[in-house]
Amino acid sequence: MDSRIVMDNKIRQDIPLWENGVAKNITFIVTKDCQLACKYCYLVGKNSKERMSWDVARQAIDYVLSQKDYNQPSVVWDFIGGEPFLEIELIDRICDYIKTEMYRLQHPWFNSYRFSFSTNGINYHEPRIQHFIEKNRTHLSIGITIDGTEKKHDLNRIYKKSGRGSYQDVVRNIPLWLSQFPGGNTKVTISSDDIPYICESVLHLYELGIKDVAINCVFEDVWKDGDDVVFEQQLVDLADVIIDHELYQEHFCSFFMEHIGKPLNPDTDNRNWCGAGMMLAIDAAGNFYPCTRFAQYSLRNKPAWIIGNVKDGIDSNKLRPFLTLDRTTQSAEECVNCEVASGCAWCQGENYDAADTHTLYQRSTAICKMHKARVRANNYYWNKLFRKLELEGRREEFEKQKEKVKNPVC
Amino acid sequence: MMLQYLIILLDDMSVSYCHYENPSKVRRLIDLDVLKRGIVWGMKENLNIQFVYPDDELPQEYNEVIESIDHTKIKPQGQDEDADVVVLTEWNGEDVEVKSGVSYIIRTTREKLRGAMSSVHALLKKVNRLNIVMTDVEEFKDGDIDDYKALLEELKECLVDLYGQERNVQLNLLTDRLLLSQMNNCGAGDSTVTLAPNGKFYLCPAFYYEKPMDDVGGLDVGLNIKNQQLLRLDHAPICRHCDAYQCRRCVWMNQKTTLEVNTPSHQQCVMAHLERNASRELQSQLKRNGMKLANSLDIRKIDYLDPFNNYNQWR
Repeated sequence: MDSRIVMDNKIRQDIPLWENGVAKNITFIVTKDCQLACKYCYLVGKNSKERMSWDVARQAIDYVLSQKDYNQPSVVWDFIGGEPFLEIELIDRICDYIKTEMYRLQHPWFNSYRFSFSTNGINYHEPRIQHFIEKNRTHLSIGITIDGTEKKHDLNRIYKKSGRGSYQDVVRNIPLWLSQFPGGNTKVTISSDDIPYICESVLHLYELGIKDVAINCVFEDVWKDGDDVVFEQQLVDLADVIIDHELYQEHFCSFFMEHIGKPLNPDTDNRNWCGAGMMLAIDAAGNFYPCTRFAQYSLRNKPAWIIGNVKDGIDSNKLRPFLTLDRTTQSAEECVNCEVASGCAWCQGENYDAADTHTLYQRSTAICKMHKARVRANNYYWNKLFRKLELEGRREEFEKQKEKVKNPVC
Repeated sequence: MMLQYLIILLDDMSVSYCHYENPSKVRRLIDLDVLKRGIVWGMKENLNIQFVYPDDELPQEYNEVIESIDHTKIKPQGQDEDADVVVLTEWNGEDVEVKSGVSYIIRTTREKLRGAMSSVHALLKKVNRLNIVMTDVEEFKDGDIDDYKALLEELKECLVDLYGQERNVQLNLLTDRLLLSQMNNCGAGDSTVTLAPNGKFYLCPAFYYEKPMDDVGGLDVGLNIKNQQLLRLDHAPICRHCDAYQCRRCVWMNQKTTLEVNTPSHQQCVMAHLERNASRELQSQLKRNGMKLANSLDIRKIDYLDPFNNYNQWR
């Protein structure tokens, strides 16, 4: 069993983030191209022209490593696209340069760094990718996205040119991936059309050997009337199978988490949800963004939120709104006072894109009914599981201790 | 805060009285019908109306309409016969003729101010109130701190001298803070809205001149300020913890520099805090000189110039 797995009363918990998530995250958008054209993809401006040059990558690395005010003890160098592995030669050169420079500069990050990838997994088996993995194995995190059963996966994850589903080309690489990264987890995205396949898809991923399934509903406003009802039933069905077959001992699904669905204190639970602004993303033009979601290819309605570039560095004024974001200031009163607020996520980029004005401070509530459905199914899951494990007292204690909503700050 | 003021720009070339530059080169007088409807709208909303005048005189029928309602006139120098607020374009203090009860505004850069301190001194001897509006806030660098501090120190000494002679002049940069116990910001979009010559509403004149597409409604469709809560102090994460109460908290500069109306730039914060600290020194010195300052709470000593840098203490 993976030593990082936290067990609590024989219930497998989420794997903690590397370095408890306090690492600096630097993201290279190496290409805006991808073999696939997933129907739910938020990247509206994918193209094959914007590929990062070595010169831009080198300048970005030089800039990042010269910053004295990055005080995180560790760093995650993240590579995304499009599909990052389409640019493996560039990535290999970037990683070599990063390692050499961190060593030459005696940078504190030399002893604590990761190279991280989210890939569609299609060309994972290719020798050039495998060579890179072999070379950097001890410093790699790789997540392959597979959405579940072939039917569910191919509903959305289709080839750009042919429209053919990509499931078979991905699933063949799962055994190799898991042999190299035994704790490998996948990230499943749920859009409206996927809802009827959630239960079977999560179970299918477990069967493939993926024990940790991170799964979430898209933040965009795609939900139809009744989606929440079907969604809730899917999660209840999934809860029944996980509990009845004691899958909870070895498997994790992020839909079921003990802490979600509680009120949040406006004073003490006022932190922003996401890390936009703490991280830094760089695109092919050498522009800096507070997160990839603020690059133009991610935005439907708004202009890119550029915070600087490799030549001039970061304009810290453009980061100030991100670094002062809190939950209550950007939330409507309904959200601040919500009785099931905990675990209700948001994407800062989607908030910005969907907002009525040019602002980060208008939280999108498109996901509201799906969160509430998730909370109901989650309550069902924990009540059933604790009953089975004869831990009912823990549930009662949890309910007694939960925060009462106070008047908000604003 | 509820809406209290309506600013009506009488012409595209109405004088700028604030941080923004008016780039207009061509006159475009507000349509008389728009002016009338604007006034009626302001009356129905129970607002105080402020008219901003251009250099040229208005046709007589405009003056008659304007005089049909209680109002404030903001006028450029040279057109200031019956003005309540005068924007000085030439401000050699020795030559400026001033009137009692009128507020005067000078718009200037630090460099220009440094070269004209004797004129400012002369003005302060004559006027009841002088507003100095810095037009180069965006260019301010941390290396300019000592320079601005020195300018404020000189202004402070001038005020101490004048107060010693029992001349109670107000200077926005230094005396406003003495009398404030809470934020007193510009209020664009919150307590104030602007009607432009095109019949549309804007958060303030700067938005009309810089982003004419960013209107917030118009006389035909009504006022519609989306996300208006973000213009309020309680939705400004940095400002709601700040005690540089005299700061204009300019939402136009906020949006221009940080891309958010509720977030000030480092430059705006540092300059406002240098003014706040200079106000503190003025307060101390006046007290030492035995002057009683009505309603003036002690301004405490602080060790930062940008509240953002202090963020972890109040988040």
